[in-house]
Amino acid sequence: MTGRKVLMDFEVTPTSHSLDDYRARGGYEALEKVLRTMKPREVTQEIVDSGLQGRGGAAFPAGRKWQGIDPDDGQPHYLIANADEGEPGTFKDRWVLEYTPHTLLESMLLSCYALGVRHCFVYIRGEYDLPWRRLDAAVEEAYAAGYFGENILGSDFSCDLFVFRGAGAYVCGEASSLLGSIEGTRAFPRNRPPRMTVRGLHQAPTVVNNVETLATIAWIIRNGASAFREVGTEKSPGTRLISISGHIARPGVYEVELGYSWARFLHEDCGGVLGGRPLKAVIPGGISSQVLTGKDAKVLTAGEVEGLTLDHEKLRSAGSSLGSGGMIVIAEGTCMVRLLQIMLRFYHHESCGQCTPCREGTGWMHRIIDRIVAGDGRPEDLERLNYIAGFNDGTTICGLGDAAGYAATAMLDNFREEFDYFIEHKRSKFAGNLE
Amino acid sequence: MKHLIPEFERLKTRLPPGHDATLLVPCLRRIQEDRGFIDNSDIDGLVEYLGIPRIQIEEALSFYGMLRRKPIGRWHLQVCRNVSCSMRGAERLIDQLIGKLGVQPGETTPDGRFTLSTVECLGSCGTAPVVMVNEAYHENLSAADLDALLERLD
Amino acid sequence: MTAIFINGQPVETGEHTTVLQAALANGFYIPHFCWHPALSIVGNCRVCVVEQEGRGVGIACNMPISDGMRVLTDSDPVRAQRKAMLQFILLNHPVDCGICDKAGECALQDYHYEYNGEPAISGDPKLPSTKFFPLSERILLDNERCILCSRCVRFTREISKSNVLGLEHRGDSMLVRPAEGRTLDDDPYSDNVVDICPVGALLSRSFLYQSRVWYLEPTPSVCPGCARGCTVQLWHRKAEWRVKGLDERHNTRIHRVTPLENPRVNGPWICNKGRDLPELLDRPRATQALQKGETVSLMQAIEAARGLLDQAGKRVALVSSWGSNEELRAFRNSLGDYFTSFVKPDHLPLEGEVVEDDLLIRADKNPNTRAGQDLLGAGVVQIPEDTDLILVWGEGTDFGTLPRGAKILFLGSWLLPENGHADVFIPISIQTERRGHYTNFEGVVSAFEPCQPRRDGVIDAETLFPLLSAPGGSASGGGAA
Ligand SMILES: Cc1cc2nc3c(=O)[nH]c(=O)nc-3n(C[C@H](O)[C@H](O)[C@H](O)COP(=O)(O)O)c2cc1C
Ligand code: SF4
Ligand code: SF4
Ligand code: SF4
Ligand code: FES
Ligand code: FES
Repeated sequence: MTGRKVLMDFEVTPTSHSLDDYRARGGYEALEKVLRTMKPREVTQEIVDSGLQGRGGAAFPAGRKWQGIDPDDGQPHYLIANADEGEPGTFKDRWVLEYTPHTLLESMLLSCYALGVRHCFVYIRGEYDLPWRRLDAAVEEAYAAGYFGENILGSDFSCDLFVFRGAGAYVCGEASSLLGSIEGTRAFPRNRPPRMTVRGLHQAPTVVNNVETLATIAWIIRNGASAFREVGTEKSPGTRLISISGHIARPGVYEVELGYSWARFLHEDCGGVLGGRPLKAVIPGGISSQVLTGKDAKVLTAGEVEGLTLDHEKLRSAGSSLGSGGMIVIAEGTCMVRLLQIMLRFYHHESCGQCTPCREGTGWMHRIIDRIVAGDGRPEDLERLNYIAGFNDGTTICGLGDAAGYAATAMLDNFREEFDYFIEHKRSKFAGNLE
Repeated sequence: MKHLIPEFERLKTRLPPGHDATLLVPCLRRIQEDRGFIDNSDIDGLVEYLGIPRIQIEEALSFYGMLRRKPIGRWHLQVCRNVSCSMRGAERLIDQLIGKLGVQPGETTPDGRFTLSTVECLGSCGTAPVVMVNEAYHENLSAADLDALLERLD
Repeated sequence: MTAIFINGQPVETGEHTTVLQAALANGFYIPHFCWHPALSIVGNCRVCVVEQEGRGVGIACNMPISDGMRVLTDSDPVRAQRKAMLQFILLNHPVDCGICDKAGECALQDYHYEYNGEPAISGDPKLPSTKFFPLSERILLDNERCILCSRCVRFTREISKSNVLGLEHRGDSMLVRPAEGRTLDDDPYSDNVVDICPVGALLSRSFLYQSRVWYLEPTPSVCPGCARGCTVQLWHRKAEWRVKGLDERHNTRIHRVTPLENPRVNGPWICNKGRDLPELLDRPRATQALQKGETVSLMQAIEAARGLLDQAGKRVALVSSWGSNEELRAFRNSLGDYFTSFVKPDHLPLEGEVVEDDLLIRADKNPNTRAGQDLLGAGVVQIPEDTDLILVWGEGTDFGTLPRGAKILFLGSWLLPENGHADVFIPISIQTERRGHYTNFEGVVSAFEPCQPRRDGVIDAETLFPLLSAPGGSASGGGAA
């Protein structure tokens, strides 16, 4: 077992996503309590105290983001749950939407109350069908039960929710980009400043949080910030939904208490590397986080040193991050050159094209790696990749450009000789194997 | 598109007033669901209904990968070829489909039955490889599963 | 007032709110493609980077001023990043400067020499794209040269509001395109995009391959196309680049018209009518004085005109709204007392022309109605049937509508059939042949300078008027209307 639970604290059954089941496990009690007894700012304070960090990728403290909004400033405010979930390797928000959508809805109501939001949105990726159906049904149930609409539960709090389905663009997961989508334009990420909590959707203060971040709010309000802080580590309280895939025996979504042993998670909970092969590398948090090599992971299994744990600060010091919680396990014998080719193709395909380094750089890197894979690599290609990647890092409007750069540098740093081999011999050291 | 307007009007009730342009993507999706693609007349209709310039609609149509302006086959097979799916055999599935259907990704079979596409991560990596057939995900597909699936799609 | 430090020097930022604006206003140049003072900030080109000490490198066009901040415009990280951005742009840019009209005033060329200086580091072939995509009868788009700064798109969205242009597709497949079924012909301000395009991606058909820009120089002028009186630059060949073997007109021709930025009148823009000024000015000129259709010398014509003036009892003047402030004053001082004067419109809106809008275009298609009316009154033209002499100054009067018994003294610049129908016709100079001022409809006075030699045989109206009011002439005709 992967430690204590915050979200997966119930048994999944064919009806566990329904309102009745949710209420039977204490659902919407936090909302009733808050509407009766708490002021908006007290809710925000509770989230600040909980130390909850964003689960969408950057681990930004949720409470601090919320404090950027003054619920009483007389302007409209907006809350958007980011359910775009496009980061390759990531499929954990989908678990919330499919199995406990009301957790998200109750949490959003609490958040809207705290932030003085009258209209909120769930931005759900366009391809998601079942998750959308489940969410949509839950929204209708919640409206029918009086949890949304005017004067919720007899209070003077009113709130409407609109489920906005995307239409196929990874970049829309970037928080400012999805604003454009909701405003009825093609979605270009926006420069900061202004922060979105100053000028966001329709130029009004806006909070965008990941689905999992928001879904955690109900638990925190129900149990209190101090109870939440008891879960996880001091700097990374709570749990993370980890979606694990690739060469792993038992792929799927797991809730893991932050600080949990990495080795145990991989080798015990998830059944180890597929087919018992040795571990080559792990992409810890979606392909936009840096690759961790098997060397580090082996350190874990051998238990020789302290061992890496699953929390934000440990991974950061290891030069990567828990990112989106999309963990991809890579077994020995996999061709990293081909894997990078897939990643660079992805970034090239998904770049919105707005800013120079990402628009030109992602295509440039993609064409170089295609050429290498085609057996036409040149010795200077790897330096060129490093140069392009380096100048995509920190020079772009949104994180997509940086991520494309990280992917290339991380692979080149860790598996340089595979690339050299490919260029020299005009073929993969591992016969192009991905499986 | 005109017959869908009552539906669009209902959507507005949960939106902040005065921001009808929000409905652009929802309307385009609904029209595509209805007609199979988005026609020129639909764009004209939306220019009028939403009161936004035509170029804004065209920009959106060319930006979002799921929107299309031409009809496609009855069954749209979208094979994920991102990292996790490729690690679980997606490239073999794509080759299998190219062989069986005799079309390349992006093309439609001459009988109008299938359109083959490759797509990026569908958020189903734990059950890779995945093929999306119209709206539905088909997961953990082996070569035999795929053959059986194609049989069922007429 | 906020003080910041740029490259260690204290700078008062005034009203400026971003580092880029404050720097430019204080003589520190920071390169920029996408930023334009009249357009929204998009921050997409990423070349305007500066280093904020202690905070790293960021784009100056979207960097708010904060008191005491210290920025460096030329530090090593800044230079490295700028250079990389130029390398990214060069990746698929054709660099066909040799056949590019923008060469010589191209920001990419300039920045390349200033901040990069190396050839493209990519060894792969450049990706081709559309060349000569027609955006209108007036403008072509070269997508290979386009650096996707979106200035043109923002212009049609935010300034002209025609919403013709957009960015279609995404990533490096993105293209500037017009909305389907539309062209920039729908936009009476379209040619501004040619100017604001930082590179040679938007090409004016009328200027295409006409001249290298370094052979040209601008003369400040005022567009006479409407009562806005936009200040413009008239571009013509530099004296030192005169071509001897060719028709001399090639050396004096106006090759193109661009806006002369003027916050009080037109900001950085003009409308397409202003761009077409060369066509208006290239019409066949009248250079021959006439008396009842017969050729006479200029002096004979002036004598004859004075004769008409002396003989007439009731005199009316139809005063040109294209006369300069100086000419109008000369008229009033010399002849004002002889005539009942009306300021008339020389030009009326043409068929298909935008009559008036919220940006610049005014319904009065004449540059100086305001000055004329300030001097001579704003009366509606009314010509009594028993008028003896009518002075018609400038175009736009149908002689058939004038009282049959009146003699006509006509002052004009163009070769028109009416010239021969007047009792006396005196050819006068045009705006590009003399110095002067116009007062626009809001009372703002702007100057124009000569850039073409005065044609032989014509006289400036300002010189002519005192000659007509020779001593001995009676002043019984009555004052201004
Ligand atoms: C290219 C890109 C794609 C992103 N995609 C997602 C996504 O699919 N889901 C998500 O929650 N955050 C995504 N993010 C992060 C969001 O911008 C934003 O930081 C996040 O939604 C904030 O929520 P949090 O603070 O609760 O983590 C993405 C960021 C970038 C740069
Ligand atoms: S980094 Fe890439 S995806 Fe992000 S804004 Fe720039 S071009 Fe668009
Ligand atoms: S746009 Fe500038 S750099 Fe490009 S071809 Fe023209 S002059 Fe040369
Ligand atoms: S055509 Fe010129 S102004 Fe328009 S986006 Fe391209 S480079 Fe910028
Ligand atoms: S990689 Fe195929 S669904 Fe994620
Ligand atoms: S001028 Fe600042 S990013 Fe283009």
